[in-house]
Amino acid sequence: MEFIKILTSKTLFLAIFLLFSFMAPGVDAADKENCLMCHKYRQIGRIDEKGRKRSYFVSENIYANAVHRNVPCRDCHTYIDKLPHDPVTQEVNCANECHIKPPFSNENFSHKKIIDVYNRSVHGSKDDDSAELKAAKPYCKYCHLNPIYTRVDEQRIAFEETLSRCLNCHERKGVTQAYKHITHRLRSKTSRSPQEIVQLCAKNCHADLVLMKKLKVSRESMEAVKTYNESIHGKAIGLGSQTAADCVSCHATSSIHDIYKKDEPHATVNKANLVKTCKQCHENVTERFAQIDVHSEIGPHEKPFLYSVNVILGFVFYGSVFSLIGLAMLESYGRRKDGISMQIVRGTSWRGESKRKKSK
Amino acid sequence: MSTSSENIAASSKEAGADEYYTYVEGVGNIPRDIYKYVKSDPLGDLPRYSYHIVIQHFLTFITFLILAATGLTLHFASLWWAPLVMKLFGGPDTARLIHRIAAALMVIASVYHLITIIGGTLHKIMTKKFNINRTQIPLIKDAHDMVHDIKYFLGKEEQRPKMYKFMYKQKLHYVAILWGTFVLVSAGTSLLFPETMATIWPNPRFGQDLARLMHADEAIMAITVIVFWHWSNVHLVPGRFPLQWSFLTGRITREHQIEEHFLEYVYNLKEFPEEREYMKKILRENGYDTN
Repeated sequence: MEFIKILTSKTLFLAIFLLFSFMAPGVDAADKENCLMCHKYRQIGRIDEKGRKRSYFVSENIYANAVHRNVPCRDCHTYIDKLPHDPVTQEVNCANECHIKPPFSNENFSHKKIIDVYNRSVHGSKDDDSAELKAAKPYCKYCHLNPIYTRVDEQRIAFEETLSRCLNCHERKGVTQAYKHITHRLRSKTSRSPQEIVQLCAKNCHADLVLMKKLKVSRESMEAVKTYNESIHGKAIGLGSQTAADCVSCHATSSIHDIYKKDEPHATVNKANLVKTCKQCHENVTERFAQIDVHSEIGPHEKPFLYSVNVILGFVFYGSVFSLIGLAMLESYGRRKDGISMQIVRGTSWRGESKRKKSK
Repeated sequence: MSTSSENIAASSKEAGADEYYTYVEGVGNIPRDIYKYVKSDPLGDLPRYSYHIVIQHFLTFITFLILAATGLTLHFASLWWAPLVMKLFGGPDTARLIHRIAAALMVIASVYHLITIIGGTLHKIMTKKFNINRTQIPLIKDAHDMVHDIKYFLGKEEQRPKMYKFMYKQKLHYVAILWGTFVLVSAGTSLLFPETMATIWPNPRFGQDLARLMHADEAIMAITVIVFWHWSNVHLVPGRFPLQWSFLTGRITREHQIEEHFLEYVYNLKEFPEEREYMKKILRENGYDTN
């Protein structure tokens, strides 16, 4: 009986514990039109014309913690005007105005401003682009893929202490997110780590030499990833440095999206702007300093003199190392034959008999 | 005393390096292969390096290992072991600092060495003890010694050449270290202070590329030579295995001194009466004449 008592009390405890752990935290995403009525079901989806399985499930929990949690669905999915809606054929336009008003402003929020900057940059779609180039150019979601819509973790520098001052007046929920939103942009040029930036630029795109060749990019662009990875910036980033330069450190201003070809006057890597660009990290930058090659490739065509120096040094290096090792081996062979042992034992290492032909 | 030892050195050279017996006043005729019969203390019997040199070697050797470990990891950043070693040093940003501190220490050790060498040489010149044969300066004799020695290793000569305090191998290595340190320090300075060096280099683009190239190539060469040649030469070859204590004690074993630095041993005989007595005893035991 005693045993059953304990068992029941334990079971009760476990049941209460499980009940609490399954209770979802308060979800208050901006779903005024109740889209989640259907989209909350895990199984919602279909097999499309191409035979691919499409899931239309929206996780309430993830959505409630995502960056777009306060944006009503139809602010982005504007083409939906009836219920049940037609199959979606249009992509979301990130330049839409949404019904969110940022603090201290009466205008509706929109990504339009940065999209304009982006469209002017080398990655923006241009009218005279070839079809291949148009297809290859990245769009917002290519970089802002945000796989599960997680926010950047910003708990590094005196987070709680600083935040506690905000909480004197503001409510925790909103201000925590606003604080994180601002501070992670204050820490460094990008909220992503330099490693992620390099990955984003290189993987599937700038490191894809077949694609790059198809797009007829310049020789420098073809080798850009390789030469970056061989440079001191690239090696340090590859090993986990957080301070060395990544791609956008040099190729964009603080608006990140304004990447231009180097012969355009706006480009940060244009000769006229190089001093300013290098100055972000290096002190006392001069015109002469800006001449230093960042994506340096020492090949037979680019830098024949340095390339030949490198080859000659290689020969000298292998030649001397192997001849020195050869000398040491010959020396040991000769001395062993003359009767030396490996170790000094009882005061001498010359314990053996000389096996040389002529001996005194 | 020093002048007389010079005379002996000179006379033995004139008498021919191939002579089996070398006459030393107060001892007698010393056969070239007497090193096979002497007793040695593994920690060293005869002085070779001053404590300055021992400290300098120790500083250089510790900083060299640190520089090699951090530098190679950065150079071979794409290899699988690089991130693991980098973690040991606390990430590339810390490793960079460690590399620079070690480099500064190595430069200090090099300057210390130059001061002791130049100062010591000046002192010797002033007290008329200077003997070019006992220095690291490469001479034509070293080329002859090398040919002679290789012939001995191949069994075509009866005995090893009679060499001074520094033999051809050591002089080669010393010149290589001078050159290597110069290249590594100057190229490293260029990499550390690119802003300043850009104002000095006639063509900064070329200069910086050259510095990057030379720093890496020279460092890898230095590391390879140290690991595969220097360490085997001083610690692994027969007679030196498992450890030659000279780099800590500053002293050399008697058999090593006679075998590879015979003329320096003659100098030692002139300097130390007890060494003369010991040599006489050994000669008598092995049936040679003494005086």
